[in-house]
Amino acid sequence: MKIEPLAKTLSLWGFLLLLVVTLTSCGFRNSPEGITITLSGWQSNPNEKQLLEQVLRQFEIQHPHIKVKHETINDQYMDVIKTRLIGDAAPDVFYLDAFEAPLLMKYGVLEPLNSYVNAQFDLADFEPTLLKAFQLEERTYGLPKDFSTLALFYNKKAFQEAGIEQAPQTWDELRDDSKKLTVDKNRDGRKEQYGFGLAPELSRQYFMMTAFGGRLIDRQENAAFFTSGSLKGLQLVIEQYRKDQSSAQPSDVGASTGSEMFGQGKAAMVLEGTWAIPYLQETFPKLEFATAEVPTVNGKKGTMAYTVAYVMNKKAKHKEAAWQLIAYWAKEGLALPTRKSVLAELGFVNNPLYAPFAKGADYATIWQSGETLPTILTHFNNQFISALIGEQSLRNALRKAQRSANEEIQSAR
Amino acid sequence: MRVVWKKQGVREAIAGYSFMAPTIIVMGTFVVLPITYALFLAFNKVRILGELSYRFIGFKNFIRMASDERVLIALKNTAEYVTIVVPIQTILALLLALILNSKIKGKNIFRIVFFLPTVTSSAVLTLIFMWIYNSNGLLNNFLAFLGLPTYNWLGDPAVALKSIMLMNIWSTAPFYMVIYLAALQDIPESLYEAATIDGANPFDQFVSITLPLLKPVTFFIVVMGIIGTFQLFDQSYIFSAGSGGPNNSTLTVVLLIYQYAFKSLDMGYAAALALMLAGVIMIVTLVQRYFFKEEN
Amino acid sequence: MKSLNWLKGFLYIGLIFYGIITFLPFAWALSASFKPLSEIMAGGSYFIPDHFTWDNYRTIFFREPLFGRWLINSLVVAAFITGFNILFNSMAGYALARIQFPGNSFLFFVILAVLMVPGQITLIPSYLILKNLGWLNSYQGLIIPNVVNATFIFMMRQFFMNFPKELEEAAALDGLSRGETFFSIVLPLAKPALAAQAIFIFMGAWNNFLMPLIILSDPEMFPLPLGLNTFKGQYISYWNYIMAASMVLTLPALVIYAFFNRYFIQGVTFTGSKE
Repeated sequence: MKIEPLAKTLSLWGFLLLLVVTLTSCGFRNSPEGITITLSGWQSNPNEKQLLEQVLRQFEIQHPHIKVKHETINDQYMDVIKTRLIGDAAPDVFYLDAFEAPLLMKYGVLEPLNSYVNAQFDLADFEPTLLKAFQLEERTYGLPKDFSTLALFYNKKAFQEAGIEQAPQTWDELRDDSKKLTVDKNRDGRKEQYGFGLAPELSRQYFMMTAFGGRLIDRQENAAFFTSGSLKGLQLVIEQYRKDQSSAQPSDVGASTGSEMFGQGKAAMVLEGTWAIPYLQETFPKLEFATAEVPTVNGKKGTMAYTVAYVMNKKAKHKEAAWQLIAYWAKEGLALPTRKSVLAELGFVNNPLYAPFAKGADYATIWQSGETLPTILTHFNNQFISALIGEQSLRNALRKAQRSANEEIQSAR
Repeated sequence: MRVVWKKQGVREAIAGYSFMAPTIIVMGTFVVLPITYALFLAFNKVRILGELSYRFIGFKNFIRMASDERVLIALKNTAEYVTIVVPIQTILALLLALILNSKIKGKNIFRIVFFLPTVTSSAVLTLIFMWIYNSNGLLNNFLAFLGLPTYNWLGDPAVALKSIMLMNIWSTAPFYMVIYLAALQDIPESLYEAATIDGANPFDQFVSITLPLLKPVTFFIVVMGIIGTFQLFDQSYIFSAGSGGPNNSTLTVVLLIYQYAFKSLDMGYAAALALMLAGVIMIVTLVQRYFFKEEN
Repeated sequence: MKSLNWLKGFLYIGLIFYGIITFLPFAWALSASFKPLSEIMAGGSYFIPDHFTWDNYRTIFFREPLFGRWLINSLVVAAFITGFNILFNSMAGYALARIQFPGNSFLFFVILAVLMVPGQITLIPSYLILKNLGWLNSYQGLIIPNVVNATFIFMMRQFFMNFPKELEEAAALDGLSRGETFFSIVLPLAKPALAAQAIFIFMGAWNNFLMPLIILSDPEMFPLPLGLNTFKGQYISYWNYIMAASMVLTLPALVIYAFFNRYFIQGVTFTGSKE
């Protein structure tokens, strides 16, 4: 073993340190001649990324003095955005889900867009419920870029085999059909196919509650979902799962999402959004499926709507340029466009697969409910699943969830 | 040359601090400073997004903890997790290290295979495990094959935490096994040879030579085990999609801290919880050290 | 002795069984990385793909233009972090274990205490500090906060507790300073511990995800785990790409381990010959 002289070791480390310092000055920042604005979003799939890049390049051609730097945040999107907002290092323009919007609007970190909207820009063309999600106290903070509602996906082959001719129109019909569609062909006690795939999250079940007059929060934004209306709506879900045993959660059958379960043929019907269409076509090409509007609950049409907007950071340096980008975008949606004119123009209403989604926009409940919704969501999901698997009654679960949600909301005030 | 003993104290101090210098500077800035900030936050009602504001509220955050049901549940879950995982993990690590240090064939292959779970990032491991624990997955198929009952490992609250425990023991034990292996190298063969000559059997040698000499390293492994298990976050987050459910069964203290810090942006309370957790870990470590009496 | 052979046989069976159990999940992940997505989702085949394809790897390596850059970022960052850590942690561990200086116990206590505070709460303050230093989106931001590691300072301290005093005293008599003693005598004898450090620190740095996620916004600066996370979509997970990416991520760490494993072979002891 050699004896390493002290000097030699130290000089080696000194050299390495020098190397680090040199490397780090290999920056990438060059002073832009024009304006550079940063745009952040998450990405749904690599295809979307390409489409996005195309749109951005077209924008840059039309606005030669503006360059757009697009950064995707690959995970924990909201955590990263919140951290960067706190540190004053957030992007100029970024995606914001309607669900998360109230919190950011309240904390005043978004730039109101009212002053940028001029006569040429037709705000009324936007689907009103979707636009409203990004408005607070008469100010608009974001323009919804696209949306999705939930619609009923059903397996055509399974329907044929069970002798069902058309998609169920009411929830009762759905339950009956579910029973017919739940089969255990080889009689080994494990069902290969369930009638209905269930997503036991508040984000998907909310419309069941509103169908009976239930709601999530009261005027003071406290949790107020423990009402007979909510109970009735959710009870339907629980009964189908526990009594009829004709529905299943994805984890029960070894899938991670409803779309996956449907694609694998383990559920004959699911309620999913437009994101499922390309997924199913790409991943399960042999599957024959169709879509229909969500069956009526308690005689009323209902579904959920999810929308995402582009918002502007209040601390953005080049606000006019950022606005140009937002305005440009509002014309190009990637799921379903939020402008009624564009929706009609692109023929979505006539496309059989997308039509139920488009129609749903009129009566959908938007997935948003004030800034306390994230807290309510956690507590609700936590307890609802426990009621679903039979650990406690639905009544107890909802009461507990509301109480613990409110405790947290109160102490945070 | 003779060493001048008078100046020894000063010399030692200078040597000590020069050795510690990089640590003090880097950790001081990037670790101690943020923790001090968190300490400060714990005693305030903080608004950190948008307009920054602090309002001093003394111990209110800590008092709130006592009546917060979810804190108690999280502590209970975490405690249960710690008491089961740490001993099993430590013993398994020691066992594997001893076996793989002895004269058996195929040592190197085993060492590499056993180490696979540790080399993989916890995110990837969790993904792999979610597949194994799948209702239709490897584990249930295996159990069904043996005629044993199958469970919904991911969805059933009674079993969910145990699934995470199993996965963690399996993936962390190799880490400690490697450390034990390194420590075992430092025990001179001559000690064992002398003992054999004196007529001691392998078990006696283990108890009177190996174990005592492994004490400092065992202390390290147990403390790190306690810290690691108390701070469990990744797996419970991924398993429960961030909710800690079903019915709070996978709620750990750090998951709770994360929810308060990032979901509700209630930084003051989250900081207070973090300090409370650090306090609990410290107490447990001290108690454990008392029973362990370090030897020098 | 017959009973000993019995025991040995039993031991081998146990080891092989445990080895198989450990290897299975990776076997599955490996085979999944060679399957198209539809085959994984259909859930039929287990370990032998029905439609073997190199596509997943091809997509990751070639279609993703930044892959090479991500790989280099990870290598550079991990290498620097590992190098500095081995040196600084050992220095600190040695000082805490062998040098009597005022404040020794206090510093050790601080280091332990620091370990006990969960990282989630220091995320935002660390981010703010890095931002104020102007180190967001930079190599320094990724490397420098991580050049020392409390866990391994602690570990080295425990290792050095058993270091034989005679060697140090002999060195002192020979007129060597603490520093010279450390570099020329102590460090070379601590090879197993240093090897263990190298493995773990490299792994930690290589797999580090959260801090880079938060501080880096320029895709060119991403380390590999962050870059490969692209395939985990918001709504849909591309399991085939994810598994291929996982294999790519795991391989280097495994290689480093296999390489350093030789230092755990008996032969290097403290009280043995110095050579």
